[in-house]
Parts: sequence; structure tokens; C-alpha cells
Amino acid sequence: MSFDAPLPPYTASDSHATFLNVSCLDLLLIEMVPLAERMARRAERIERGEEPREEDDGDCGVGGTKKGDGKKGRMQARRDEVDGGAAVLDEEVYRDAIFIRLDALGYRVGQGLSERFSRDRPRFLDNLDVIKFLCKDLWTILFKKQIDNLKTNHRGVYVLTDNTFRPFLRMSMSNSNEAVAKAQPHLFFPCGIIRGALSSLGINATVQAESTDLPMAVFQIKTLATAAAKP
Amino acid sequence: MSYYFVIISPTDSPLFEHTFGTSKAGGDGVARFRNGETSRYMNQFIVHASLDVVEEVQWLNNNMYLKHIDTYPPTNSHISCFLAGTNVRFLLLHQPSTAPTTSSSNRSSTISSTSVPHNPTSPQTEEAIKQFMNEVFEIWVKTLMSPFYRIGMHIKSPIFRQRVSAAGRKWL
Repeated sequence: MSFDAPLPPYTASDSHATFLNVSCLDLLLIEMVPLAERMARRAERIERGEEPREEDDGDCGVGGTKKGDGKKGRMQARRDEVDGGAAVLDEEVYRDAIFIRLDALGYRVGQGLSERFSRDRPRFLDNLDVIKFLCKDLWTILFKKQIDNLKTNHRGVYVLTDNTFRPFLRMSMSNSNEAVAKAQPHLFFPCGIIRGALSSLGINATVQAESTDLPMAVFQIKTLATAAAKP
Repeated sequence: MSYYFVIISPTDSPLFEHTFGTSKAGGDGVARFRNGETSRYMNQFIVHASLDVVEEVQWLNNNMYLKHIDTYPPTNSHISCFLAGTNVRFLLLHQPSTAPTTSSSNRSSTISSTSVPHNPTSPQTEEAIKQFMNEVFEIWVKTLMSPFYRIGMHIKSPIFRQRVSAAGRKWL
């Protein structure tokens, strides 16, 4: 493993070097969102009793399925009563479940990335330094470009704007509002990366992302110290 | 010379510690500290006491390797520090051995003044420790990249310990 970018011929310095195709990251990011959605749906179904948990299949046998059926019947009846309001609640819970999954994955990745690429860098003197490192170095490593615009209110809120967010470059739909809604979950993982990188460099923050028009993405970072300071 | 190496997290909890002795100049790689039995506690105590100094010095120096930052005169221990990006600290306590080798005292007088195992503050020692720290940092980053390692966990992997001792044998 080397921290330096290899020059062609790529195997000059280390003939045993292995290389990874950069489009693997793009493909992974694309696939992660449907994966999180599938997992959230399946977890929901297990909660509602429509699907047996994996461990029940093995050891309970007949007793298990009977128990499962009874539980399913009760839950079905209860669900039918409150179906109208619950449908909206389910959607929110489902969305939150996806967010938590993708954000947690991104968090761990961000922590690792920041340690690895903050090597030999002068000490970070304040929060703005850390955010600039994120905007320039980390964004270049992940998406091969820097953040286009950084705004701050100097009181702990930073707004990062990327006008051509790389994962969005190849996304399009005939109806642009629908496209924005569908693209929303794809922002959760980069949010997690930002949160993980900041937390490992000493800033506790919450990160939200939104997109008004593909391929633009806006990330809003709120450092928690400022929120806690207010009574 | 005996070494006590510890990796301390940003929240001041130790993640990994390793004691070893020098393998250079005929050393056998076994640590021999002055305090003997209580050296385990004393080493931890000395190293954690030097964390205050680390926190002062880190703002004056922009490098990752902070060199020699603290001494503990009663046992002639010296502490060097290496600071990783996320404020994880690698601290090395080095203590030159007490008993001079009497059998080779004639010729060792010139050797001992500059050789790594005997002189804890010479530039050669600092250079050797810097190489050691850099190598441990690479091993540490590889550990961090593994998704099975949760940040802030103790490092229990025997492979990690093996690699750190190999680095110790190579440079120190």
C-alpha cells in the first residue's frame, strides 16, 4: 500500500502492486442505495411478522410457523385498523431506516479516510481548516473534484455546494422533480462520510444534504458545540 | 535500552502497549527497566503524565513527529511522541540501561556516546525512532482501514503485535 500516486509504467516501483478500477466506487455507491432499501423493507416485514426471522426457520420447525402465523394474524388485524395514518408513518420510518444504515456506513468510511489522508499535513488550527481539508483534499479523493462553493455564518454552520456532484452526473428522468426525489437517498452515504471525517478530526456535527436540481448537491453542516452552547 | 511503546486514543485511553528491548549492538530484545517489578505501572504513569506536555507542544510544531518531548529524571527515561492526524498519539518511552558493559569498557566509550541503544537524545536516536514511528503508522492505518476494527477499540490482533515488534527490531 502506498500513499503516493503511481506514475506510468505503473509497476515500476512495485511489481506486485495491485490496482483497483476507479469505477468500482461509482458502481458501489449506485448499488448501496437499493441494498439499503431492500434491507429496510425486509426488516420492516420481519417486524410485522410477515416474514419469519432466519433463526426461526432452523430450530422451531412446526411450532415456529404456528407461532408466526398467529402473530401475523394479530398484527394484520391491528394494522388494518390504523392503516391510513400508519402508511405515512411507515414511509418515514422506512426512510429513516435507510438513512441510518447508509449514514453509519459512511461514518466508518469517513473516519478511516480522514486518518489516512491527513498524513503529513500541518496541524488543523480551527474548524475552518478542517472544513477546507474536507472540501479540497477529501472531495478530490472521493469525487475527483473540489467543492465549488463554501459558505459559513461563522457561528458553526457551513454550507457546501457541489454544482456537478459526481454520482448525479449520469442520473436523469423525464420529470425533474421525480428525479430529485429519487436521487435523495444517494446523498445519505456522502453525508455519513462527511460526518465521520469531521468527527475523527474533532468536530461533532450533523450533516444534511439536499438537491434542488440534478446534478447539484448542497450539504449543510451544523457543528453541535454551537447548538449546545445556547440554553 | 528498554522501550515501552503505547498508542493512546484522542480520549486518552490506551489502545495498544508493547514493551521491548533493543536488538542493536548485541542487545537481546528483552526489556530491562530500572524499577524492575513496578516498571509496568511506572511506565504507564510516566507516559500518561507526559500527555500534558504533548498537548502543549503539538500547537508549536506542525510535524507529525514531535521528537523528544519529556524526561523523567529519577529513572532517566525519555519520551518521544508521534501525532497522527486524528489526534491519536504514539508514545515511546526509552530508558538506557543502567549497568555499563564492564568487559568492553575500553572500546565502548567511543561507541556508547553515539550509538542508538546508549544515547537517548542523539540525532541518530531521533532518526531511528522517527523511522520506527513511521512504520508503525503505516501498520496502524492498515488496521484502521479494516471494517472489523471499530475506532477506539483495543488492538488485539497478534499480527499487529508481530509487525510492531518486527519494526522495533529493525529500527531500535
